Amino acid sequence: MTEPITYIDLGVGGMTCDDCVVHVTQALESVPGVQHATVDLASRSAVVTASPDVPAAALAAVVRATGQYNVFERGRRLASDD
Amino acid sequence: MIDRFDLLILGSGSTAFAAAIGASELGARVAMVERRTLGGTCVNRGCLPSKNLIEAARIVWEASHPRYDGLGSAHVSVDFEALIAQKDAVVRDYRARKYASVADGMTDLHILEGDASFVGPRTISLDGRTVEADRILIATGSRPTIPTIPGLDTVPYLTSDLLDADEAVRLRELPESLIVLGGGYIAVELAQMFARLGSQVTIVARSELLRGYEPELGRTLTESFRSEGIEILTATRVERVSGDGRRVALAVETPTAGRILRAERLLVATGRTPNTDGIGLELAGVALDPDGYVVVNGELRTSQSHIWAAGDVIGRQHGSQMATPVGARQGRIVAENAFKDARRTFDGSVVPRAIFTDPPIAVVGLTEAEVKAGHLPAVSATTPLKYVPRAGAIHRPEGLVKMMASTIDERILGVHMIGESAAEVIHEAAMAMHFKATIDDFIDLIHVYPTMSEALKIGAQAFRKDVSKLSCCAE
Repeated sequence: MTEPITYIDLGVGGMTCDDCVVHVTQALESVPGVQHATVDLASRSAVVTASPDVPAAALAAVVRATGQYNVFERGRRLASDD
Repeated sequence: MIDRFDLLILGSGSTAFAAAIGASELGARVAMVERRTLGGTCVNRGCLPSKNLIEAARIVWEASHPRYDGLGSAHVSVDFEALIAQKDAVVRDYRARKYASVADGMTDLHILEGDASFVGPRTISLDGRTVEADRILIATGSRPTIPTIPGLDTVPYLTSDLLDADEAVRLRELPESLIVLGGGYIAVELAQMFARLGSQVTIVARSELLRGYEPELGRTLTESFRSEGIEILTATRVERVSGDGRRVALAVETPTAGRILRAERLLVATGRTPNTDGIGLELAGVALDPDGYVVVNGELRTSQSHIWAAGDVIGRQHGSQMATPVGARQGRIVAENAFKDARRTFDGSVVPRAIFTDPPIAVVGLTEAEVKAGHLPAVSATTPLKYVPRAGAIHRPEGLVKMMASTIDERILGVHMIGESAAEVIHEAAMAMHFKATIDDFIDLIHVYPTMSEALKIGAQAFRKDVSKLSCCAE
């Protein structure tokens, strides 16, 4: 039996270049329960693939701890919703 | 089609722009809705145009009333139409540089024009278009209050909207005579401006001028206005208004007699009313107080946790004031609370404020009445500005500074000044109060001699000694 997976949609602030994308991606993927993060510079957004119990606050905390970036949750959907 | 945004802002004034910029920096997709002119009251029909014209009026007045023996008076002719045209150009330029181009340069900020109204807690109808947002800011500002007076609704009258550059209500001709209804900051600024440009002005106020401020300020201003030829009727009630587009008549009751006042135009400046009606707040479940202000908690959240309100629409809650920089600060706070979970609150304890009359008035902190109402142990010291060397040197001795200090730790709790350069001087007091300065901090700071800022040093010394006996540089 596979664990349930959630896609978490995030708005991302503070990014100006591809290096920023790398930093935000690394920060998001450092959160326990996060499997993968796809960060997009142009749309200033990210989609995090994670277990359902990963709270938005945990994602926000690691990203804000960089001192340069911000994320907030727009919504989340179960992988089975696709 | 439904448009979705992370933050929808009703209004486009200083509050809205600060919130939009802050939210955009934090990654949000933002829409701002405006039904009048982009930029709100301050830039279009408030601070900016009034300060432009008030300065022009000062130039006219000072040329014909030189304060120095040896200087002859000169007549400066006023081409009112051209004067208004330059004001309109200043407004449009400032609006373009500080609002429109800022909006253009921001990622994911959308300006929506039209009449917006809530149709649900997260949904707005905008001239038939549906817009949704997870977070909403009500920053719709305020408008001139129109009092209920028999006949007023049948007579053309002006409000401070006359300052607008682009709306039909703007004023294009200088009235030969003008009755100003109201005694607050807008009434006194505009009354003196018109008087100095050449109108015969009568102020009709229900109480004294500048009620709510230290009474010494209104009294000094009243004397000054009367010496300039402005008629002031205080404690006066308006019974009835009549007239047409060319003349207006007011039946008034002064404390001593009934009178009929006549003038070419009437300017109603009796306060500000929040723009919270007609936008469907009841459908959003947003609570208002009995005066129509949006009820907010310290974090500027309304009764709906995803809807915030800031700027003029919250009135005086949590130490707020109706003022452009206050709204701007609150807009930034809302952005951080909405998208960064910052849980910031607005601190209104040190908010300097100015009234751009001549002499100008500026205040920060508590009044004596507020100190008494709060049962705070404090003393006041009031110093006439004639003891400030610069005031004497440039023949501007009128005015005073009144300071309130705690008797527990001698911290300065409030500074209230009327006199030359007060609107600039007040920032020293505000910064000092921000850092919790005491009487001695003001006294110990070496001030530039001779400046009007020495009023604060001398005003602080008045807690200790007779300042009429100070030598040079107030040591």
